[in-house]
Amino acid sequence: MYRRTMTATAIGLALGLVGLPAVAQTQFGSKELIAAAEKEGQLTLYTADFAETQQEVIKEFNKVFPKIKVAMVRAPGGQLITRIKTEAAAGKLGADVVNHSDRGLMLDLADLFQDYAPPNAADYRPDALVSPKLWPGVTLGWAIAYNTQLVKNPPKSWMDLLKPEYKDKQIGQVIGPSGGTTWTRIMFERQVLGEDYWKKQAEIGIALYPSGAPLSDALVRGEVSIAPLLYNIIYTKIVDGAPAEAIFAPEGVPIVPYADGITKTSKNPNAAKLFMNWRLSKEGQAFMINKLGNITSLKEPPAYPKGWDPKKIKVWVPNFEQFSKLRSTWIEEWNKTYGYRQ
Amino acid sequence: MTATSATALPASDEIRPAPRRWGAPLWVGALLIVLTFLVLYPLLMLVFGALSDSNPVVDGFGAFRPSMKHFLDVLGNENVHLAFFNALAACGGGTILAVAIGLAFSWIVVRTDTPFKGFIAGASMIPLFVPPLVAGVAWGILGSPKTGLLNTMLKWVGIDFRFDFYSMSGLILVFGMYYAPYVYMFTASALRNMDPSLEEASEVSGASAFTTLFTVTFPLIAPAILAGSLLSFVVMLGIYGVPAALGAPANISVLTTYIFKLTAWSPPLYNTAAAVAILLMVVTAILVWAQQRVLSGKSFATVAGKAFRPRPLKLGRWRWFTFGLALIYIFVVVVLPTLALIIAAFRKFLFIKDFDALFDSRAYSWVHFNSVFDNPLTMLSIWNTMKVGVLTALVGGVLAFAIGYTVNRTQVSGRRSIDLLATLPVAIPGLVVGVAYLWAWIGLPGGLYGTIWILALAFVARFMPDTVKALSTSFMQIHKELEEAAWICGRGMLGTIRTIVLPLARPGVVASMTLLFVLAIRELGSSLFLYTSNTTVMAVLLLDYYEGGNVGKTAAFSLVQTVLLAVLLGITTWLSRDAAQGSAKAG
Repeated sequence: MYRRTMTATAIGLALGLVGLPAVAQTQFGSKELIAAAEKEGQLTLYTADFAETQQEVIKEFNKVFPKIKVAMVRAPGGQLITRIKTEAAAGKLGADVVNHSDRGLMLDLADLFQDYAPPNAADYRPDALVSPKLWPGVTLGWAIAYNTQLVKNPPKSWMDLLKPEYKDKQIGQVIGPSGGTTWTRIMFERQVLGEDYWKKQAEIGIALYPSGAPLSDALVRGEVSIAPLLYNIIYTKIVDGAPAEAIFAPEGVPIVPYADGITKTSKNPNAAKLFMNWRLSKEGQAFMINKLGNITSLKEPPAYPKGWDPKKIKVWVPNFEQFSKLRSTWIEEWNKTYGYRQ
Repeated sequence: MTATSATALPASDEIRPAPRRWGAPLWVGALLIVLTFLVLYPLLMLVFGALSDSNPVVDGFGAFRPSMKHFLDVLGNENVHLAFFNALAACGGGTILAVAIGLAFSWIVVRTDTPFKGFIAGASMIPLFVPPLVAGVAWGILGSPKTGLLNTMLKWVGIDFRFDFYSMSGLILVFGMYYAPYVYMFTASALRNMDPSLEEASEVSGASAFTTLFTVTFPLIAPAILAGSLLSFVVMLGIYGVPAALGAPANISVLTTYIFKLTAWSPPLYNTAAAVAILLMVVTAILVWAQQRVLSGKSFATVAGKAFRPRPLKLGRWRWFTFGLALIYIFVVVVLPTLALIIAAFRKFLFIKDFDALFDSRAYSWVHFNSVFDNPLTMLSIWNTMKVGVLTALVGGVLAFAIGYTVNRTQVSGRRSIDLLATLPVAIPGLVVGVAYLWAWIGLPGGLYGTIWILALAFVARFMPDTVKALSTSFMQIHKELEEAAWICGRGMLGTIRTIVLPLARPGVVASMTLLFVLAIRELGSSLFLYTSNTTVMAVLLLDYYEGGNVGKTAAFSLVQTVLLAVLLGITTWLSRDAAQGSAKAG
């Protein structure tokens, strides 16, 4: 299995890294669009993703389109939404493109975005879209990570995380109410792994963290030994040689498709369009999978992360209606079960 | 000009010429207009938010639906009660410790012959420049019960005791250590300006040095002690970084971490956060009122017309004891966390299996620094931060001098309102005040939004109380007879300020402008809403690194910031030494 996935990774790397000569520009947009975008020469991206990650994306985009400068404003999810709403109301929205992990919040702002579809729109999973204006430029997936120096018998599935041998806060978790990504995971746990999954897990004693970043850091330092983490948070650390490893569990990988869109008030609509086209293209997605540890919402992924066997591993996308409807009551129950004071 | 001239002429004084009729009201009116723009208007937005469900910019004032729901929710929520009591315990304990440390230090540095005082004075201010988030991260690295470096060392030595900074006592210790410089700044400048003949009189009357300290010295600088402890308490109440890094692993929630949760929630509950912020302001208002009650009707003037030369107390052999105390403090507060940050910044990963692994040179590299400086935003943010810091210190310093002088040295009507307005922002947590500024200023015509100026103005407003209070202490100590002497000699208002007040208050002015500069450089909460891609600042970039889960880069960037600040501190220390000499000559 490992050999096969290694081969898949190698192919992905080849796709993502080798094959982007300058002539390939036109696959991301017509000559007219490219000329207009280059004339604009810049765009501003508002993102709730990690700044460093998005900088890598921008750097890669600039390898293909060096004449378009991408400026970035980054803020945590809820704060970014407040800022967008306020700027828009004052007629001063600075963003050309917005990249946000919470599809529910973005759907509320759908009126601020212009009609847009990438050239490969039909290649995307319909369940990853919440509005025809908003596209999953980024898709993240949940993995189980562990510290290789501390865990002798690593977990192989989500159900393994209930084992008494991992008791007494060896497992760390991001709190349920931290945002849309964690809500996706705990929804998966309850709907797929069983109604009593939370209860059984809480009983063995779990260390709680406010968000994924400090948890990934705690895992590498050895504060906790095992942690469900978004794969991209731990992937770059593993590549750099951290004492950690991550697996995708056979019961399913909950994925979080982002909602990205081009604002109606965009001052650089052509550059924004070209940037989105590139992000959503096979090449853009392959780069994010291979270099950043993302997953993709493309029906046929151009690459797979290390350890991902497409025959065995299924992605799990939350039903969007339930995603919104169940949220507050289930999170309240999660808080009670894990003893977290909201 | 005319306005300024009239301002400083206290109505009660019979010697001075009659105040010009329109000068004082015009001056007070101008100050009130500035403060209304900087403080009251954003604050009204906050109250508007707390009392309704709407965003005043998005929904407009027309959509105002008054509702006490948020207040009632907040008051009835037992988690808020717990966060409230945790905050009082952590900040109360922290303040007591900060007063003990800060007072001891200012006495050692200013009034004794302890060796290497200049070095001690400089080094003991370093914690002030460390962003709270960095302090929290550093003490997590040192004092985590599982992987803390201190515990790794204890294990290696064979001692069973383990530190646990992920606890209430850990929070109190870190708060106390890091906010002692606030108390120090206030009390040191008060002690420096105090006439030692008062102490000498006490000693001549037979009191021991110890009795003199507690019956003469400390009571005389009571306003400075009170102002310093009040400020450090209130600043601690508003700190997010330390409780986030040290409280969260132990599930200890305080008001700021609670507010952060509310703003990070999907959808963000800013209106509820505003309600919590208003509660915080009520607590602060009570504290400020209590302080004024204690101080009212008492004179604390210790700088009079008589010339004096501060004479340090000769401690004899005990001066090595005080020197030892200072060294221990500096080691614990400066050396240990800096070492932790250096280890974190230079180690590829912070997994340290045992004490020997700490010395494995293969684990160290410049990789985090390289990656920080590879980031084009790093240099941009440093440049922007310096610009904002200088603008804030200059504009804020001038405004605070004007306010401090008007409030403390004149009798003009309206000065109480000015004092109140200038004190109001003290308790509003940065995260909430940031959104208040955004709501208030984004709609203004002109190109303010998106510039460095909007950040500088937000910082001037946010730190107005800190600066004004720091300056007021200096003003309170200058006896009126000095100004009166100048007036009798025919000096005008501005001339008196320039030749008498400014030179005497110069150490305080430099100290408060330095404080403002440092606070502006560290400020995150209000930056987060007001920065744009061209005006990004270091605090925002630091949060990006922290939120990216990379303690190595966070530590590397923190060290860069600390070194920059240390250089700037060196310059201002040199300036203030110059100023102190100037004021000694003037006195």
